[in-house]
Amino acid sequence: MGYSPLIDRLVESLRCLPGVGPKSAQRMAFHLLERNREGALALSDNLRQAVEGIGNCRSCRTLTEHDQCSLCASDRRDRTVLCVVETPADVLVLEKATGFRGLYFVLMGHLSPLDGIGPKELGMDLLLDRLDQGEIVEVILATNATVEGEATAHYISQAARSRGIRSTRIAHGVPLGGELEYIDGGTLSHAFADRRET
Amino acid sequence: MSGATNKANLQPAYVLHSRPYRDTSLLLEVLTPEFGRVGLIARGARGPKSKIRALLQPFRGLLVSWSGRGELYTLNNVEEVTPTRSLHGDGLASGFYLNELLMRLTERHDPHPRTFSGYVRAIEALAVGAAGPRALRLFEKYLLEDLGYGLLLDHDAVTLEAIEEDQLYCYEIERGPVAAQTCVGGVMMRGHSLISLHNDELEDPDSLQEAKRLMRSVLGWYLGARPLRSREMVYAVVDGGIGWSRDDEPR
Ligand SMILES: [Zn+2]
Repeated sequence: MGYSPLIDRLVESLRCLPGVGPKSAQRMAFHLLERNREGALALSDNLRQAVEGIGNCRSCRTLTEHDQCSLCASDRRDRTVLCVVETPADVLVLEKATGFRGLYFVLMGHLSPLDGIGPKELGMDLLLDRLDQGEIVEVILATNATVEGEATAHYISQAARSRGIRSTRIAHGVPLGGELEYIDGGTLSHAFADRRET
Repeated sequence: MSGATNKANLQPAYVLHSRPYRDTSLLLEVLTPEFGRVGLIARGARGPKSKIRALLQPFRGLLVSWSGRGELYTLNNVEEVTPTRSLHGDGLASGFYLNELLMRLTERHDPHPRTFSGYVRAIEALAVGAAGPRALRLFEKYLLEDLGYGLLLDHDAVTLEAIEEDQLYCYEIERGPVAAQTCVGGVMMRGHSLISLHNDELEDPDSLQEAKRLMRSVLGWYLGARPLRSREMVYAVVDGGIGWSRDDEPR
């Protein structure tokens, strides 16, 4: 390359997208310039507006262009149940898949001591303040089924318990349609340990 | 490292830490008996169809095979030794403590066979929730030995006489126990506790408590000013949240 500094810069910028290497970035750049200049302009406008306009909800920290997200601002949600998740994408998934009517709190990560992320770095104090306000009666821990997600859930459950708030953990186990033979040992042992009365 | 190809087949291993690498891979730090800490790249392990991602969680006893040259090798195969009982709650925080110690104090490719066996025993003890503190202290002792900082536990550092059960000693870091009635800048210990730690016993609460204070002080010396982050993993009721509970030390 090198015959057009502008194209080079575009290709380089596209590489910030996940899964996009130099070859695909070049393909995308030429596609936009040759076949879809209108789409390219819309993309660039929306990208700029989104990046400049979107921040974090002051109550739950999910991504929103308002001071408070639409879920937190809604008067049709149950404000006594708080579901704690790791990322804004988790909120979308749970909203789609479950009939949950309470509110969320987005940690924006998990405790990870070996990466230098402790309760302070995670902004755990905002969640603790929320628990201190006294409105919440149950915390649902929907962090990931990783050791870090598990440790984060444990930390929050202790904080909830010390305030007399009930805490529950989403179940992890055999996926729907899953045959036992093909499930890894860790998942299976988890599902076995978390079995319930039928 | 030389340019020679390094290969290992079905080496016992535990994942200490993993982080995203490129788009769909993981960069793992694993602990092995023969090769010490090794950096491995697990290609495609973060991909949506990855079958090994769950296996590559910390605290699971694995057998791994790798090949490659240089500092990082490629993970070729991984299987679980036997389905491991997973760590929960405070046991998980102690597990992170072990991993953080290993990441902070060991270098890649330094073999630590005793540390490895101490680690396996500690993880197993934490998983069943019994004798965790004892297993942690023994792990710390083996780790210090393998690092070349082994503790002097069987004789007085000055008189060279055998440690006496009923005598009081002041344990000075990088020197050893010295018979004394007072102790400044060291850790006061009963002879009984020193002998108990020396013999890998630690069966009474007092010895366990004194061994913990000794280890905390010695490890703190080698860790330097940067605190261990895994100490913040347990919610402390006393100080209203952020930090370690009561004893400010992993169980
Ligand atoms: Zn919100």
